[in-house]
Amino acid sequence: MGRGEGTKRRGGYRGITGPAVISVMLCLAALPQSANAGTVINPPPQAEDWSALAKLPDWSGVWTPNITDQDRRIETDPMPWNKAAAAQIAKLEAAEQAGDPKGLFVNCLPEGMPSWMLITHNAMEFLFTPGRVTILGESDGNRLRRIYTDGRAHPADPDPTFHGHSIGHWEKDTLVVDTVGILPEAYIAVSEAVGLPNGGDLHVIERIHLDKPDMLRDDLEVIAPHRLTRPWKTSRFLFRQRARKYDIVEGVCLQGNYSEATDASGNAVFVPVPQTEGGNTLPPTTESDKPR
Amino acid sequence: MKSISLRSLAVLAAMASLTLAWPAMAHHSFAMFDFSKTMTVKGTVKEFRWTNPHVALLVEFAPQPGAPPEVWSMELTSPGNLTRSGWSRHSFKPADRIELEFNPLRDGKHGGAFEKATFLDTGQVITSNLRAAEKPGLQ
Repeated sequence: MGRGEGTKRRGGYRGITGPAVISVMLCLAALPQSANAGTVINPPPQAEDWSALAKLPDWSGVWTPNITDQDRRIETDPMPWNKAAAAQIAKLEAAEQAGDPKGLFVNCLPEGMPSWMLITHNAMEFLFTPGRVTILGESDGNRLRRIYTDGRAHPADPDPTFHGHSIGHWEKDTLVVDTVGILPEAYIAVSEAVGLPNGGDLHVIERIHLDKPDMLRDDLEVIAPHRLTRPWKTSRFLFRQRARKYDIVEGVCLQGNYSEATDASGNAVFVPVPQTEGGNTLPPTTESDKPR
Repeated sequence: MKSISLRSLAVLAAMASLTLAWPAMAHHSFAMFDFSKTMTVKGTVKEFRWTNPHVALLVEFAPQPGAPPEVWSMELTSPGNLTRSGWSRHSFKPADRIELEFNPLRDGKHGGAFEKATFLDTGQVITSNLRAAEKPGLQ
């Protein structure tokens, strides 16, 4: 920048040099954002915010789902599908029973809400930090829920996401979570083979608490006006594990579509593996892949 | 130039056919396996893929006595879940000789759901049952 460039000669800043303008801009940038009217900030947590976390119930450890109970509740807590949805569900159930399941998640997009909570076979963990509870999952790479407990409201028009926008508050030792803003394409899943996109306007209310010292219970209420005839209530259970072999590991769903190989230059690379339409891996001999 | 273009087209066509034949699919239900049918075979491990969301074990065996050997792909749950069952990415290595029990794909393709393997050289047995680990405080 040459001398004098940046001086606004017609607008009233006559005489202010370019470097001076830059200095002022730098000073403005250094000011706290709260100085800018209308900007809401996340304030830095204070010591009392951190110490308050110690008064919350202990949800540390890794939590593994009770899959047998998930399966049982398909019969005991059936979803109140509306007529149009029930017809589609019946077809999906028939396909599954015939051994030709239409996999809902074979494209490796996230299970999202509420399906992650309903049908996962994988572990999850809960992190408490000031103003937030974070749930981290395993196996499909993007299992992550941010639940804001800082008193904020939902945005007026949230961008739809797989896991939606979640706000929570504590009622004694129960975390009450309210989730909206979920993509209409996100499934309400009975299983990995049966379920329907929620169709929009989905609202999920959860009450999460320790049912026993090492058993976490998630009481869910799913309000899906385009799919269900009434709010659907169900529960899911998780077991606490503390052995280190239960620590959450990285999971990238799409990695299963590749095997490790070495290219002509000696680089470690991924190469696609053959699969069926249903997502099953097949041996790398195309001739033998043909049905007998 | 013409031959190069044709070759490029051929490569593109091959890539397209691969894409069609091998869609990007993985995270699936297990209903396509016939759990009423268990196949027991003796074979050799060709490859062990320790990947999400389903670990794969490729095994070569003769489906009938005297028949030419075929490679079949066995599917399991995720590395995280298998680690908790005592598995590791070293549980199998190429050339391991095993007796394998699995539930085959219903459509006759060369895949199955892993049930159990016995190492023929050591007698060690390895299984995978996620639902057997449904309680807290597991070691």
